[in-house]
Amino acid sequence: MGVDSHQSSVASRQSPTVTGSQILCRALLEQGVDVLFGYPGGAIMPFYHALPEYPQLRHILVRHEQAAAHAADGYARASGRPGVCVATSGPGATNLVTGLATAHMDSAPLVAITGQVSRSMLGRDAFQETDIIGITQPITKHNRLVEDVEELADAVREAFQVAQEGRPGPVLLDVPKDVQNQRGVWTGGQAVRRSGGQFVRHRTDRPTALEQAARLIADAQRPLIMAGHGILLADAYAELRALAERTGIPVITTLLGISGFPASHPLHLGMPGMHGEVHVNRAIQQADLIIGLGLRFDDRVTGNLASFARGARIIHVELDASEIGKNVPVAVGIHGDVRVVLQQLLQLVARRDCDGWREEIETFRHSREEHFRGGLSPEVILDSISRTTGRCTIVSDVGQHQMWVAKLYPYQHANSHITSGGLGTMGFAVPAAMGVALARPDEPVWAISGDGGFQMNMQEIATMVQEGIPVKMAVFNNGYLGMVRQWQQFFHERRYSATPIWSPDYVRLAQAYGIAGWRVDHSDQLEECVQAAVAEPGPSLIEFTIEQEANVFPMIPPGGSLSEPIEGDPAPLVPA
Amino acid sequence: MTASQAVAVLLEDRLVTFTRAVGLIRRRNLPVSSLAVGPTTTPGISRLTLMIDSDSSTADRAVQHLQKMVGVRAAIAFAPSEGVTRELALVKLRAPHDRFAELLDVAQLYQASIVDESPESVILELSGSEAFVLSCLRALERFEIIEVARSGTVALGSGTDLQSGTTP
Repeated sequence: MGVDSHQSSVASRQSPTVTGSQILCRALLEQGVDVLFGYPGGAIMPFYHALPEYPQLRHILVRHEQAAAHAADGYARASGRPGVCVATSGPGATNLVTGLATAHMDSAPLVAITGQVSRSMLGRDAFQETDIIGITQPITKHNRLVEDVEELADAVREAFQVAQEGRPGPVLLDVPKDVQNQRGVWTGGQAVRRSGGQFVRHRTDRPTALEQAARLIADAQRPLIMAGHGILLADAYAELRALAERTGIPVITTLLGISGFPASHPLHLGMPGMHGEVHVNRAIQQADLIIGLGLRFDDRVTGNLASFARGARIIHVELDASEIGKNVPVAVGIHGDVRVVLQQLLQLVARRDCDGWREEIETFRHSREEHFRGGLSPEVILDSISRTTGRCTIVSDVGQHQMWVAKLYPYQHANSHITSGGLGTMGFAVPAAMGVALARPDEPVWAISGDGGFQMNMQEIATMVQEGIPVKMAVFNNGYLGMVRQWQQFFHERRYSATPIWSPDYVRLAQAYGIAGWRVDHSDQLEECVQAAVAEPGPSLIEFTIEQEANVFPMIPPGGSLSEPIEGDPAPLVPA
Repeated sequence: MTASQAVAVLLEDRLVTFTRAVGLIRRRNLPVSSLAVGPTTTPGISRLTLMIDSDSSTADRAVQHLQKMVGVRAAIAFAPSEGVTRELALVKLRAPHDRFAELLDVAQLYQASIVDESPESVILELSGSEAFVLSCLRALERFEIIEVARSGTVALGSGTDLQSGTTP
């Protein structure tokens, strides 16, 4: 556009001739941003006034700011580049909070830009003023109120750097309206001025630690690899596979580590923890060495810490030094990028096998751990989606279906499973899938939700229609908030308090939005509808009516030991 | 073993950086018994000292969290026995005229000095470790203490130099 063609002359002249909003747009372009998710409002209007001058910045108008943050999160996880979301001050900014916390817990690089009331109004409880810096301090990696136009370009550069380096995370920039209007000089291509925050510090003791780790790996009789989100974030797929194949050590993938290692690989065991397979948790409890790669030994993975892997020594490789030894005591802690550390470790690790140990683990396996009572089971649905769609990305929501999608779907491709792990945010899948679809325009994206989570953000179908985002939506409808109902069944005397949930007619809902929709009640309709949904060029929706009281098995009771799974429905209550 | 640990942080002297650092400690649910902040010899940089009632590994983890923060230049944790910890106290009290000599005796014992005097009260200034200050305050309880202002503990490690970023 005309404004940009004068860039060099603007920079060389002393007189400031661009607005803060134009600087903001240029700084976003400088960072390689091509899409932003947002919602306009009073305090961000100068930014939206400038935006049409920069058509390279594609703006996606969401229907709720929470969706903007989740979509930016999905975009970031799928592309590896920071996702950007924009909101106005006050309610616009506070609506981002859940999305920021989700990204913070799952280490997704995000840059959020919020409008703020003008500087002269700050602190006076002005209309739509809220202290978003104070509110988001504990759920962002960094945040900053930009107090002058002269800081603006640097603040954007710093935000992108901080969001991406080390362990990624969300960064929020709060820009007062008058700073957006303030005139300043745009100077492109400047280096970032940073103050503190050491995200990657290399420890001098690493060679010793690597040698110790290699020795432990050589000596172990019952070793396991536990691979987490760090494998995906560090692009360490090949290195993980090389370590596993050289040593024969079985690989466990945590919820966020799924698709870090091919599910069909003979060394792949499955998911550990609260809903992990019995043989996986049993292997952990019998192991004498656990090699933790890019994970944080979260409580959903370990169960009761006092009884977690008591016979195992733990090697913990992690980019965030503060995670090492936080939850489990480690024999060897290696602080660094998982990929780099694995490359170094591979030079020290000798070829070996674990055949005896793997045979032992096989004896732990149950033939079938889910207990579906026929009809349309999650297993059959996921099998159909997988066979029909081929290579695609699966974005799941939170609840029972999330566990089925984690455990039953055959993930073959790197980074093909995206979910809200740490925060467990219901309503994540639909908006996050929009971000994934924009980051990966050449492959199908499925958003798989329960009937509860879907209704939390189903307004985003309108966004998909308006922007032409072809997400395939699957709703697993059991008429309950299923995971909460399962807990009520197991631990709360089967008192289904506030868990039965009514749904609209999803087929007619789809029609109302002008997209294709189907309801599948029986397995004989399954193939046809899934094929039609995949063939649909735009967004499409399938409601799957599943068994109302299906449960996720096995299950470790909250705070329980991995050694004591629940493997079947509790006995029915006998009326007194 | 749980004992007090000193955590010293060099950070930008902006309120937002200070609240972020303190908020981080609060969010991690660490038991803070003392907090002090003041300027350093470097313009724009403050020194924050926290006393945390925890074992050394907990304090070390707090340091690792702080080191990740934008605006933090350096952070370090050490046991009070590995350095010097001091706090300053100002004590305003009333002593009857006939017991003024007794007050001076107590002040001398604790190397406290009278820094302000009015017809109704005096202000004593004293400094030392937290235990020393508490001991002195107990000794002064025999007089009528009107108000006490304590600075919170500041600390310097004897073997490590935070300013140059050398951490254990």
